[in-house]
Amino acid sequence: MRTLIYIVLSAGAFVMVFTYLWMLLTSFKDDYEAIGLTLKLFPSKWIFDNYAKIWTVVPLLRGVLNTLIVEVSVIIVGTFVSTLAAFSFAKLKLPFKNFWLLFLMSGMMVPYAALMMPQFRAFFALGMFDTLWPLILPGFFGNVSMLFFLVQYMKGISNSFFEAAKIDGAGYMRQFISVMLPMVKTAIAAQVIFWFIGIWNDYFAPAIYLKSYENMTLQPMMARINSDNSSGTNLPLIMAGAVLSSIPMLTIYIACQKYFIESLAISGVKG
Amino acid sequence: MEIQKTLHKKSRMTRKENLIAFLFILPPIVGFCIFTIGAMAFSFVYSFQDYNLFDGTSQWLGLKNYVDLFTHILYSKSFLNAIVNTLVMMLSIPLSMVLGLFLAGLLRMGNIKGSKVFQVLYYLPAVSSAVALNIVWRYIFNNEFGIINLALGVRIPWLSDDVLIKVAIIIKNALNGMGTAMILYLAGMFNVPRDYYEAADLDGASKFKQFFTITLPLITPMTFYLLITGLIGGFQSYADSQVFGAGVQGSQTIVYFIWERGIGQSRYGLASAASILLSAVIMIITLVQFKLSNKWVYEE
Repeated sequence: MRTLIYIVLSAGAFVMVFTYLWMLLTSFKDDYEAIGLTLKLFPSKWIFDNYAKIWTVVPLLRGVLNTLIVEVSVIIVGTFVSTLAAFSFAKLKLPFKNFWLLFLMSGMMVPYAALMMPQFRAFFALGMFDTLWPLILPGFFGNVSMLFFLVQYMKGISNSFFEAAKIDGAGYMRQFISVMLPMVKTAIAAQVIFWFIGIWNDYFAPAIYLKSYENMTLQPMMARINSDNSSGTNLPLIMAGAVLSSIPMLTIYIACQKYFIESLAISGVKG
Repeated sequence: MEIQKTLHKKSRMTRKENLIAFLFILPPIVGFCIFTIGAMAFSFVYSFQDYNLFDGTSQWLGLKNYVDLFTHILYSKSFLNAIVNTLVMMLSIPLSMVLGLFLAGLLRMGNIKGSKVFQVLYYLPAVSSAVALNIVWRYIFNNEFGIINLALGVRIPWLSDDVLIKVAIIIKNALNGMGTAMILYLAGMFNVPRDYYEAADLDGASKFKQFFTITLPLITPMTFYLLITGLIGGFQSYADSQVFGAGVQGSQTIVYFIWERGIGQSRYGLASAASILLSAVIMIITLVQFKLSNKWVYEE
């Protein structure tokens, strides 16, 4: 019985890994072999050229750099803003606190499609079309799911720490920076990792705002390479690009897998 | 006198705390007011207008955009098609939940050693880029040289047939989503107290019966969470049409319709009307789900 369970679970796990395996194997194939009509798992001749070529066909490095510009600016400012607000929601006296929290959370129900056109027109009028600003500016105002998670987490920390700091004459900002932040830094780190991956994989908004290759982040760049070569002749090249653009995200996922699985389980329990 | 002084001081301190607390939450609230409420309000106004891109003027149309979505010869067919596609593609949500429940059951029942390894592998698609996944899956389902057709020795036109492309998307999304369901259900199963099962064993209830009468009702919070997040995400599906379907009619979703009309063809009014309807549907479904939740979701 247990052997059977192992077999079923492993078969499923193989399907999960297969997409990446297939991506990798195809990237080493010859252009014609990749679209050959006989089924071949492994390349008959291993070709590594595509990994050199992809950097010259599209400005992939530029894509990585653009993505990192968005990541770094949004995460630094947005995390500070979200954490500070979470501290206030969790520990400070504030009238209508629950109203404000629900107010912010109601935004999770609003589809991006309903916001996209006014935002598009506004950013276009501001001359920010085909720049990274439309991706960066909204992030400066924080991230509601991070905020909500941190509020729950901070509520669990005893008030006595803050009362002690208050007696020592610490203002609210000091209490936040020197008392709260050190105690929640792992929770913040976990949330930053999720946000990083979310921005890395973001596609819809970047696809709307970024038109020229040199201004693109990675995901729209990948989608563009794919649609520009839809005849299928450059499949191994596309796959090489997909492999390269997945490596940073995969590395982070494997290194921090514990956070991912645990936070997911918690979010289900707490709703 | 002394007491009044301290009271006075106290209320001044409270007021100061209130003010600072509000300043701390102000940035997210300002952002929300601009990028969500403000944008939504504009969408709402646009939906009653016909914005002319060339001279920048707007004409008041009343409900015409909404009526056009369902009756206009140029749009109604593709809008209704997008609604049907979106709903059909959401079949992957219950499917991934059933698969995830089954896998979680296997992990729990078998008391599997490498359970953590399996969890990490099954969750992989959830953290992957939708673009990269869709590019590979498009290749896997390719009509001529896709590995599925080659392995089965058939030539099923997955990517060009209006019905089959939805089947392909459902299969793909169910497989990619089952890991999330599995991890959540497994966490839920670990929360069920052992003695419930022991008591049921004493009563002579079969494992099968125990699953339906103990496990399933007690993990309803997970089902609720998966349903809510699945529906909110499912209604907003876009990459499936754009990258996997390459814009083929059978794969066009509501959000793809909004994007194509609004951004692609600058039909702001029409697209805004569609987006307002979409928001209304998502909000109503979410609120109804929360309202109904006390009828079937277990609470400790």
